[in-house]
Amino acid sequence: MIQVKGLSKRFTDKKGLFDLNFEVKKGEVFGYIGPNGAGKSTTIRHLMGFVKPDSGYSSIDGMDCWKNAARIQEKTGYLPGEIVFLEGMTGLGFLSLVQKMRKQECIKRRDELIERFQLDVNSPIRKMSKGMKQKVGIIAAFMHSPQVLILDEPTSGLDPLMQRVFIDLILEEKQNNKTILMSSHSFQEIERTCDSAGIIKDGKLVALEDMHLLRRVQRRVFEVKVKSEGDMEQIIQSPLVTEVKGARTIHVTVQGNDQEFVQLLSRCDVQHIDTRPQDLEDIFMHYYDRREVEK
Amino acid sequence: MSLPLYLAMMKNHGKMLGGFIYGASAYIVLIIWIYPSIADMKGFNEMIAALPEGMRKLIGMENGINSLSDYIAGEFYGMLLLIILMVYVILTSTRVMARLVDQGSMAYLLATPNSRVKVAITQAAVLLTGLALIVGFTTLSGIAASEWLIDGYQLDVPSFITLNLLTFLVFSSIAGYCFFISSVNNDEKKALGISAGITLLFYMLNMAGKLSEKTEWMLNFTIFKWYDPIKMINNETEALWIGCALGILTFLLFMLSVAAFKKRNLPL
Ligand SMILES: Nc1ncnc2c1ncn2[C@@H]1O[C@H](COP(=O)(O)OP(=O)(O)OP(=O)(O)O)[C@@H](O)[C@H]1O
Ligand SMILES: [Mg+2]
Repeated sequence: MIQVKGLSKRFTDKKGLFDLNFEVKKGEVFGYIGPNGAGKSTTIRHLMGFVKPDSGYSSIDGMDCWKNAARIQEKTGYLPGEIVFLEGMTGLGFLSLVQKMRKQECIKRRDELIERFQLDVNSPIRKMSKGMKQKVGIIAAFMHSPQVLILDEPTSGLDPLMQRVFIDLILEEKQNNKTILMSSHSFQEIERTCDSAGIIKDGKLVALEDMHLLRRVQRRVFEVKVKSEGDMEQIIQSPLVTEVKGARTIHVTVQGNDQEFVQLLSRCDVQHIDTRPQDLEDIFMHYYDRREVEK
Repeated sequence: MSLPLYLAMMKNHGKMLGGFIYGASAYIVLIIWIYPSIADMKGFNEMIAALPEGMRKLIGMENGINSLSDYIAGEFYGMLLLIILMVYVILTSTRVMARLVDQGSMAYLLATPNSRVKVAITQAAVLLTGLALIVGFTTLSGIAASEWLIDGYQLDVPSFITLNLLTFLVFSSIAGYCFFISSVNNDEKKALGISAGITLLFYMLNMAGKLSEKTEWMLNFTIFKWYDPIKMINNETEALWIGCALGILTFLLFMLSVAAFKKRNLPL
């Protein structure tokens, strides 16, 4: 459904996109992850036809994204990364403008989404909080039930409860065989919704994998605080990868050997346990290390 | 053109436009209203005649005030309306394109099945509608005021309408290059600065060109060469030719803007 072939756009030697290739099949949810400034939004701008590639092309449903931008929009919903609406409008005013510009009459889906996200649509957009604006944007992207959804950091600004509502919405659309591409910084978010994921760094795709594979090799670090030095000793002696972080505090790295980790902890007096957020680069460096070993 | 977008933009735009319409209309009514007292004032024309020629040209009173038409053309069309329309055209052309791109809300308009060409044409229509409304209301107020507010002085209505049509066309051309600048710039402030800079330069060339014979060549480099309200209202210009030329120029400038907007990269 969504195809990106040899897409290149050079801003400077290091910045831009360099020979990007990936494909999202119909009914698939594709997670697009990468650190700040990696080129996620730039890729999405190409898909929306805002930017002309230097070379290569991208297409949606067989139509070139640059040449057929307007026609592609008929079946596409888009959520920009930075949301700014027209001035001097209420949420509802804006949504109905978008509907009219789409020549769409049915408001059932729109009202259903408004209800779901508990949005006060009658307040002026200028007075809305970041999260409220994000909701307006999400509703504008979903309300015409498009076949393809392109979402740039959809959960930024949403509170945890609304993030859940959003993830449920994605899962529901997935059931309905929609094709979705969403960018994110959070591996967890992608993990819960996506079938496959692409990792971009400095404008290059560094990994493109099935989600199951990624999950299996995902590395997590737990911060464990135990009650006695003896327990510390026991953990350090275990075959798990560990790193002492302070008095009775230790980081344990778990990768596929969850069972072993739980058993180890059951023999200790645990005072506190927490997971450390993992940065994406880490996840992928280890992903590659692991693959080398498997070979 | 997308009608829903057009209506939303017009509504959005209404307050500012209303202000301009009110300002222009109220002022022309006021200036017509006080005309009898100026025309009756003895020695006014002598006073004007005593000024140096360049000065007289500049304030639009080469021959003093001989008729209501001269007076309206010189005092209002040559000065205040010119400034009102200049400000309106520069501000609005920047607002309808560059501002939306700069802020990013253009992304939403283009995320609907409306092509860039369609969106740009709609925005151009909003700009030109506003200009037409200001000039239109001014025309009507002028005619109404001269009919009902004062006695004994006649306004030549057909010539007055010609003047207004030409005024509209001159400022449409100015709107044309401002719109072009607005269509190719990502930065609202930059677009505003360039449009204002070019227009002010034209205006100053026009002023300087009128000052003396030595500087007359400067008139060839300004669009305001085409805008001479007193000559226009006295039918001393080739109104038809100038009108056609300005119409074509406007059309080409807007076409060029739309084409440039279609082809360019947008930082949305
Ligand atoms: N029009 C442009 N001209 C020059 N450089 C640009 C342009 N657009 C983007 N860039 C650069 O390209 C890089 C990628 O930007 P992009 O917005 O795609 O990052 P991103 O992956 O979306 O990051 P974030 O996670 O912060 O949203 C950045 O370094 C940015 O400065
Ligand atoms: Mg981004």
